[in-house]
Amino acid sequence: MTRAYLEFAKKSFQNNIVYRSEYVAGVINAIVMIFVNIAIWKAIYEEEGSLEGVQFKILATYIVLSFLLQTLYVMDEYFIEVKVRNGLVSSDLLKPIGFRLYVFSYTVGTLAFRFLLQMLPALILSIFLFHLLFPFSTVMFLYFLVSAILGYLVLYNLNFLIWVSSFWFYWTFSLVTIKDAAVMLLSGALIPFWFMPEGMIDTLQLLPFASIYSTPIQIYLGMVPEDEILTGLIRQAVWVLVLYAVGHVLWKGASRKLVVQGG
Amino acid sequence: MGKHSMRSLFVLFFKYSNMNLKLALEYKLNRSLIALAIFCREMIGVVVMFLILLRFLHIRGWEIHEMLFLYSFLFLSYSLFVLLFAGIRDFDNMVHSGDFDRLLTRPLGLMYQIISARIDFTATIGHGVVGIVLFMNTAFSVGIEWNWQNSLYYVLALIGGTIIQASLFLLSACFSFWAVKTENLRNLIFFNARRIAGYPLSFYPVFIQKLLIFVIPFSFVNYFPAQYFLRKDGSFWEGYLYLTPVVGALLFYLVFLLWKLGVRSYTSTGNSVY
Repeated sequence: MTRAYLEFAKKSFQNNIVYRSEYVAGVINAIVMIFVNIAIWKAIYEEEGSLEGVQFKILATYIVLSFLLQTLYVMDEYFIEVKVRNGLVSSDLLKPIGFRLYVFSYTVGTLAFRFLLQMLPALILSIFLFHLLFPFSTVMFLYFLVSAILGYLVLYNLNFLIWVSSFWFYWTFSLVTIKDAAVMLLSGALIPFWFMPEGMIDTLQLLPFASIYSTPIQIYLGMVPEDEILTGLIRQAVWVLVLYAVGHVLWKGASRKLVVQGG
Repeated sequence: MGKHSMRSLFVLFFKYSNMNLKLALEYKLNRSLIALAIFCREMIGVVVMFLILLRFLHIRGWEIHEMLFLYSFLFLSYSLFVLLFAGIRDFDNMVHSGDFDRLLTRPLGLMYQIISARIDFTATIGHGVVGIVLFMNTAFSVGIEWNWQNSLYYVLALIGGTIIQASLFLLSACFSFWAVKTENLRNLIFFNARRIAGYPLSFYPVFIQKLLIFVIPFSFVNYFPAQYFLRKDGSFWEGYLYLTPVVGALLFYLVFLLWKLGVRSYTSTGNSVY
């Protein structure tokens, strides 16, 4: 049974590879975004006269890591929507596979593609161009990997809620776009939490978005004290579970709706 | 095109716009949500800029209002661009779907048809609202005297910036005649240049500055017009400040010639369903 899902992942990997110009574009986009952001922070720190300081190097590493994770975290947002609109979802449901596992393995296939052909080239370029700091320690790096995977799962389960809503709305471009905007602003993807207004930081920590970018990157940089790392990871895991549970309920409703509609 | 009077062309243009408006109003809720979504997406950059400057107050002498004023040009000119030239933006698709063949059979100027056939009201509103919000909040607090010369300059700069962006899109449209799918390449060049242009040109290394002046002249869309009003950095040639409309007109003219060449060598993709 697992073989079927592996095949789905492989298929999705191959689908991605077909568009060669897409993956060159993906790498260049990432590099340009990193470049623009670092140029801005450079201008700020140059004015303060601390371009050589640790602070700037940490910030530059933060920016690079954030955009590398962003290239990795791109998913096919309209996979379910397209199936709902053209009706193929009903034949997918008839197949002896779990639909949600099918969607997940498809997404993981994309992840593998993005890891190998988007993130790695961008990472290698970044090491030469932007003086990426090494992880704080080997242990921190391992924690970072776990945290990044959890972050991916938080984002996946959050996305899934939007995707399933296509059973009701049919077009989800606006929902997806607004969700993306929220993730970008509230997760620390574009601006680290420590630069946010102080009143906001506590609220941001309570939301699921922090788990996606801020937590893994801060662990990599050694900014989270060792005894708080576990709390951070648990918080991420709880969000994965909560969002998964909500997704489960929505999915039940959606599949029931499809039956009522008669496919 | 000679057989049609200016008047009849105007009437036709109005009818086209009317059709586009009806199309947009057909799905009121969906279109308003899309406009809202575009607004949110475009506001990300604004909010990030705002948060950074809330903390650091100024970057290389640029204060928050000045930065946002610089940024507002991008949104207003892009909004005008999708209002007036959405047909050029979607030209790629028109060639690939074979819709372009339909235009060829009609007794009207091609560029006229392309421009008038499509208006993207949704994107116009999404980008336009960001632009207007930024403009209203900054234009009267950065020390600009809005006399008639400055106002005229502003309007010309905005039109110039709109035409520069139209030219860049038309350039990529040219390549689609030779059966190359250019959408990705175009988005790559256009939107990355736009991202870079969001912040003052003087923040970047010389190589990037040259690129945005001479190759993809995005600096004329927002940096030099803003510089005319604000006079922040002294490191660029004064003349650039007045060149936006000239760059726009010249670029459009050159690209238009290339485009005409393309039309002549055009062979259909054979996709047309009509």
